[in-house]
Amino acid sequence: MRSATATLVVFLGGFAIMVLEIIGARYLAKDFGGSFYVWISQIGVILIALALGYYVGGTLADHFKKAAFLAFLLVPAGIITFLIPNFASILIDAIIMRHPLNQDIPPVWQKLDPAIGSAFIFLLPCFVLATLSPYMIRLSARHLAQVGRTSGLIYASSTVGSIAGVFVSGYILIDQMSLTSIFRATGGLTVLLGLICPFMDRWLLDPGAPERSAHGEPAGPAAAEQDRT
Amino acid sequence: MLGLVVMLLAGTPERTIPAEADVVFETTSPYHHIRVLDHEGLRTLSFDGSMETRMSLRDPLEGQFEYTEYFHLPWLWNDKIKEVLMIGLGGGSTQKAYQHRYPDVMVDSAELDPAVVQIARDYFYLKESPSLRIHISDGRTFLRRSQKKYDVIVMDAYTANRYGSFLPYSLTTREFFKLAGDHLSTNGVLAYNVIGSLHGSRANIVGSMYRTLKSVFPQVYLFPASSSRNVVFVATKSSQSVSLPQLQQQAAELVRQGRRLPPNIRDRINAFRIKPPLAANRSPLLSDDYAPIDGLLQTTP
Repeated sequence: MRSATATLVVFLGGFAIMVLEIIGARYLAKDFGGSFYVWISQIGVILIALALGYYVGGTLADHFKKAAFLAFLLVPAGIITFLIPNFASILIDAIIMRHPLNQDIPPVWQKLDPAIGSAFIFLLPCFVLATLSPYMIRLSARHLAQVGRTSGLIYASSTVGSIAGVFVSGYILIDQMSLTSIFRATGGLTVLLGLICPFMDRWLLDPGAPERSAHGEPAGPAAAEQDRT
Repeated sequence: MLGLVVMLLAGTPERTIPAEADVVFETTSPYHHIRVLDHEGLRTLSFDGSMETRMSLRDPLEGQFEYTEYFHLPWLWNDKIKEVLMIGLGGGSTQKAYQHRYPDVMVDSAELDPAVVQIARDYFYLKESPSLRIHISDGRTFLRRSQKKYDVIVMDAYTANRYGSFLPYSLTTREFFKLAGDHLSTNGVLAYNVIGSLHGSRANIVGSMYRTLKSVFPQVYLFPASSSRNVVFVATKSSQSVSLPQLQQQAAELVRQGRRLPPNIRDRINAFRIKPPLAANRSPLLSDDYAPIDGLLQTTP
């Protein structure tokens, strides 16, 4: 049950990250142009978000040990994502219009401006979504001998979610939905993930759950044996 | 003699690159695999296998694709053109033609790819001057930051290969056309090349473009090229509708006044179509928020 929930959560997290990356590139293109550098920016910024999210997520997981804490990250990140169509154009406008109007934008800023725009809009939500993987590894793993298998499952599931996010965005969402509705839906999904987290702790710690009943001890090395499933 | 050359050119199938052409220059920019090819007295600029520009080596002002000649049509709606913006450079056929035929007109040209600008200078005899300024910029960004009003905006920023036509979506939406309209003078004209056709597999794009243009501009006309799959839209800020005979009459009048319109402008005018394309009703209006041009609209209706 525990690993099933964790697997589903990181799958959805990975999905949301790549929807934001692909749809985000499209969104940035309307202001920064049909530019190669929009893609460079978007890929680079999302990878920065992932690196930060993995590192910070792992540290937070060791410290808090409860999924409930993630709600404090995911709910605001989801609200921000939901509101991208409302605030992003103001930020992008400020970035573009800061250059003097009577001369062309210098090449270095033609390259960097999309990265700045991408960072303002997408860094934070993707950072938060990336904390999910190390966090879920910490919550799922109870036994050192199985950390390899647990983390492998989490990585794989999150990546499969990301793969789905790429193809579903590019092949289906872009044809069927407006960018606004896609951002709103992704924000909604992130908030939903945040709201699930407190329940995850309850499921994991529920003394009535079959896998718990044998020992009645919810966590720690003593509980390791029952967590093979 | 010139007439014969033009006739021969018109007869050759366009947009196919002869396999035995000499590669004069080849490079890969952040945007395209670019080649300059010479074959039987013609020089071609190719992006990713598609043909962007063609030029006669004997006369750099000849050999251009038919569709570029439709970019002279705005004169028929506005005989006092002073300022023109061209988005998309390629080998600069239209830029050179304007420089040569209308030296009193100021042309700004926005091109995204610096490599293309360099190639146009080195291989297609494009010369910048106070009346022809090249800006390395995305077209929409350029327009958004521009404080000028133009009498004509010419859009030619498309590429195509066997996998379909690729159009930057940000240049196809209602928001973009509003931006273009805001930068056009009272009697301003937008001329817009779309790779597509009125029927068949690319009819949906033409339908969507028509519908989207019509949501911003009071009058929209179509000029389907006869020798390639191009449709040039002419959209006017003036709400007055014109007819084919009126356009022919106006062309004759302009020539009489000394405007050096291309010699075969009468044939180009004859491609005139005022009726909406059939696909216009079933194709979606394109907006920044929803523009499925890469997927949905590439499909056959």
